[in-house]
Amino acid sequence: MAAHRYWLATLAVIVVAAFVHGPAVAADEGLAAWAKVNEVFSHPRCANCHVGADNLPIWSGPHYGSQPRPHGMHVDAGASRIGAENGLLCMSCHGPRNAEANHGPPGAHAWLLAPVSMQWSGRSSAEICAQIKDPQRNGGRALAEIADHVEHDALVGWGWAPGGDREAAPYSAVQAAGFLREWAGHGAPCPSP
Amino acid sequence: MKLSVNGVEHELDVEPEMPLLWALRDALGITGPKYGCGIAQCGACTVHVNGLAVRSCVLRVGDVQGPVTTIEGLGQADALHAVQAAWIEHQVAQCGYCQSGQIMAAAAFLAIQPEPTDEQIDRAMSANLCRCGTYTRIREVVHTAAAKLREA
Amino acid sequence: MGRLAKITRRTFLVGAAALVGGFAVGYVAYKRDPKNPLLDDLADGASTLNPFLLIDAQGITVITPRADVGQGAWSVLAALIAEELDLAWGQFKVDPGPPSAAYYNGKVAAEGFPIAATSDSFFARNGRAFGDVVGKLLGLQVTGGSSTVADAFDRLRVAGATARRMLLIAAAKQTGEPIDSLSTRDGQVLTADGRAFSYVALAPAAARLAPPHEVALKPASQWRLLGKPMQRIDMVAKCTGTAAYGIDLRLPGMLHATVRTNPFLGGGIRGFDAAEARSMRGVVAVLPVKGGFGVIADNTWRAFEAAARVKADWGPPAHAFATDALFAEAAASFVAERRDSRFKDEGDVDAALAAAGASAIEAEYRVPCLAHAPLEPMNAVAQWQDGRLDIWTGTQIPRFVLAAAAELSGLDEHQIHLHQQISGGSFGRRLEDDYVRQAIELALAHPGPPIKMTWTREEDMRHDFPRPFAVARMRGVVADGRVQAFDLGIASASVTASQMGRIGQSVPGPDTAIVAGAWDQPFAIPNYRVTGYRVPDALPVSSWRSVGASGNGFLHECALDELIHAAGADPLAERLRLCTHEPSRRLLQAVGEMSDWGTPLPAGRGRGLAYTLSFGVPVAEVVEVTATAAGIRVDAVHVAVEVGKVIDPVNFEAQVQGGVLWGLGHAMFAELTHAGGRVEQSNFHDYTSLRLYQTPRIEVRTFETTGEVRGIGEPPVPPVAPALANAIFAATGQRIRELPLVKQIGFV
Repeated sequence: MAAHRYWLATLAVIVVAAFVHGPAVAADEGLAAWAKVNEVFSHPRCANCHVGADNLPIWSGPHYGSQPRPHGMHVDAGASRIGAENGLLCMSCHGPRNAEANHGPPGAHAWLLAPVSMQWSGRSSAEICAQIKDPQRNGGRALAEIADHVEHDALVGWGWAPGGDREAAPYSAVQAAGFLREWAGHGAPCPSP
Repeated sequence: MKLSVNGVEHELDVEPEMPLLWALRDALGITGPKYGCGIAQCGACTVHVNGLAVRSCVLRVGDVQGPVTTIEGLGQADALHAVQAAWIEHQVAQCGYCQSGQIMAAAAFLAIQPEPTDEQIDRAMSANLCRCGTYTRIREVVHTAAAKLREA
Repeated sequence: MGRLAKITRRTFLVGAAALVGGFAVGYVAYKRDPKNPLLDDLADGASTLNPFLLIDAQGITVITPRADVGQGAWSVLAALIAEELDLAWGQFKVDPGPPSAAYYNGKVAAEGFPIAATSDSFFARNGRAFGDVVGKLLGLQVTGGSSTVADAFDRLRVAGATARRMLLIAAAKQTGEPIDSLSTRDGQVLTADGRAFSYVALAPAAARLAPPHEVALKPASQWRLLGKPMQRIDMVAKCTGTAAYGIDLRLPGMLHATVRTNPFLGGGIRGFDAAEARSMRGVVAVLPVKGGFGVIADNTWRAFEAAARVKADWGPPAHAFATDALFAEAAASFVAERRDSRFKDEGDVDAALAAAGASAIEAEYRVPCLAHAPLEPMNAVAQWQDGRLDIWTGTQIPRFVLAAAAELSGLDEHQIHLHQQISGGSFGRRLEDDYVRQAIELALAHPGPPIKMTWTREEDMRHDFPRPFAVARMRGVVADGRVQAFDLGIASASVTASQMGRIGQSVPGPDTAIVAGAWDQPFAIPNYRVTGYRVPDALPVSSWRSVGASGNGFLHECALDELIHAAGADPLAERLRLCTHEPSRRLLQAVGEMSDWGTPLPAGRGRGLAYTLSFGVPVAEVVEVTATAAGIRVDAVHVAVEVGKVIDPVNFEAQVQGGVLWGLGHAMFAELTHAGGRVEQSNFHDYTSLRLYQTPRIEVRTFETTGEVRGIGEPPVPPVAPALANAIFAATGQRIRELPLVKQIGFV
């Protein structure tokens, strides 16, 4: 009985994969697409606000020394991820758009940290991939919805227009969404951990 | 454009990209909010918009949605806000230039967190610079102000 | 000021220069009391009893002729007068008054003399008295050197007491009552039978009387105000946003301006293209000023925006200052031809070092340039209209500003009116007049409206005159658990020469600032020598809170700590053994008690001790730190200070706390660096300042045993950095010999 179920599952994977492309090719192309997605997601411009349960946004870049470091001014965005618990909202300084001055605070509509479940900072490509595919940890989104989110969300889009002399995330929002769709189309494979 | 400051509606003819700070200081003559850095590093320009603390030096006046309160509107000498009263009681100010921003930051903070711990005070108030070194008293005075607000 | 201005300016920050010549002339002038400047524009019905008191129908105005840069000068000066005049706190107004020789500072000049504060020699006593002569002769109206209270303590109480006496005499004449039956309270003279005569009513008659030759001052036991907690007169205004700083001034028809000068220091401007700027909304004019250009507009932000769009053709820097090269130059300055001073030379250091041979201990230390960066950027308002020049600004040197204005405008000084404003910090920055000159230049080029010139923070950071860098070399010998020889050489730029140089004067003799806080420390080390070396042609530098001692405290006290550890001695016990100044010994003992010195600490924690005598005030401090995974956390600072007399304990404590945090934050994080002739930092994102979460607990114990009244604005600063570095050594074993410490070790 157990063996029978195992066989069926294997068959299903083979059939589905073969239907899309040919198994080996699909995985390779899917992983290649994921690598580009990961290049974007793990870039400090994105990962600095996809931080863990310490709720500390990260600063990095040429003006912050060689190592990324926690946001200055002792900022803690709290479990609310908007700074509510400590009475100092991200939005106190981060307004609706980038400050004109180079070292002024960047801004976008509703400045906040991504949920803890979506931590990318310090995570491997495999870990990020698994998170993106997990509806419990991706905001209950289908992969197509994630691609749409990346393409159209204003705060996500800021990553490609960070203002000042900040380094933008690689590629563009449209390209990143394209990589996601391509990856999903190839069966959304994740690299081995 | 229209701008509500300290309960007064103003009609302003300024560029929407002018920082709120300079609209307040030079267009409306409201000089309690101070210019210290222009890049949200020091907090001397802190005002409330819709009751939330914001750095008026980096917020464009055209992006302001809601009523603005400055230190002048928080309380006056004959009608002090509890935070101001605590500040005076503790004799916090030295040069005083950062204190408008400190007080506005503390007032917004205590409205959200009426019973703060030392750690929360450190989190909330570390984005406001003081070059004179009034920090020791700020940590004390926020507790006093919180107690006054709870009594009120 | 005319010729006097020239003398004054030449002799500003006199140092040893004042000792050269002029004594006989000076003494005659000294006997003559400076004229009361309040008589010049005395309104009808107004009376003045002396330069510090104006009484009219509106009430009583106390003149507080020092810059209030946050230290509370106006409150403390007013209290000295109000105490003797029997005014109720708050029943009078304060006004800084006009610039005047009557408001000379008799204590600031003596700071430049090489006289140890602990010395009671004939030379020391006469030298200090001579400082008062110099100050009075030259009308040095200067705020600085922690001298405000020391200078005013007797003089303003005497001013209050003589005015009170004159009011009593006037009341006696009017009532026919014997003067001894009269008393004063809350601005009134009271008769024995309960009648009250207000000072306001008595003032016109009192003003016609000759001041008494002698008055008795109240004994401290009868003080109502002094020595007791006061509410600073500016506190309510500063907590309600109604205190108007220079930058807040609003005048009818006022225009707003900003200035940009060449970021490559001293490079000047060859020309500029302001076509785009002139087309921008609100821009009134774009004008050349010395070294750059100014934009006049109808709004400060519009001026900032337009200035950013002026295409300037900057000249090359006068010197391509670079931090590495400056330190290399300093390191190459320990040579005979650059020797500036050797005020301390006890025992035979050379013999002791030679005898020790290879066992002698050597180390090199360095401290960086630092910016003042008060939170209110430099600004000034100037208006030239109808042959009259008005200037509104916060300045520590009002009479020099007046002289500069006369020089720039060609006007006589009586046509120039300087209105002192409160300042959002200074820390020594407002001992310079560059920003005021720029506002005057703009006003002269654009007559009519008042023009408020405001610097951007970036302009302020790039055009500061910093605290100078310094390199120190220590050589020492220890034996038998004791420090036997301590040789400290300090190479730095001369603050005095630099400040004087900016007004075209050279200063003969050594600069005490190079070795201040190091050469005059009361330790009986058998072989003990402190030598100053002057780094020539260095970048322009200036006085920064605690001046030379600000860096020398670190250099001296870390070096001494290193020797004490090498001797295997305890830092507190060895300093107590060496210390020859009894009040200072009490301080060392006090911080030992406060910090539980000697009790064991868990691993990763440490205490560090340092002591510095500066501005006549000895201060001992112990810093406690913990080495955490996130970096060093500063837990506590224990401070013991001997100040002679505390006027307002609440403000006094604030000054000590502020001085400690000033010293601490800069020691941890701050440096101003140069590359290619320009300052590399531009704002608080890269000139890092202490923040609340990094603030330790501060415990202050004050001693008032010497009876010598001293100021407290600066003396708490110098010992913090070394106490912190010594604590880090105790906690981690890492001996850091360079500031800021963050270059070597992380902080929480």
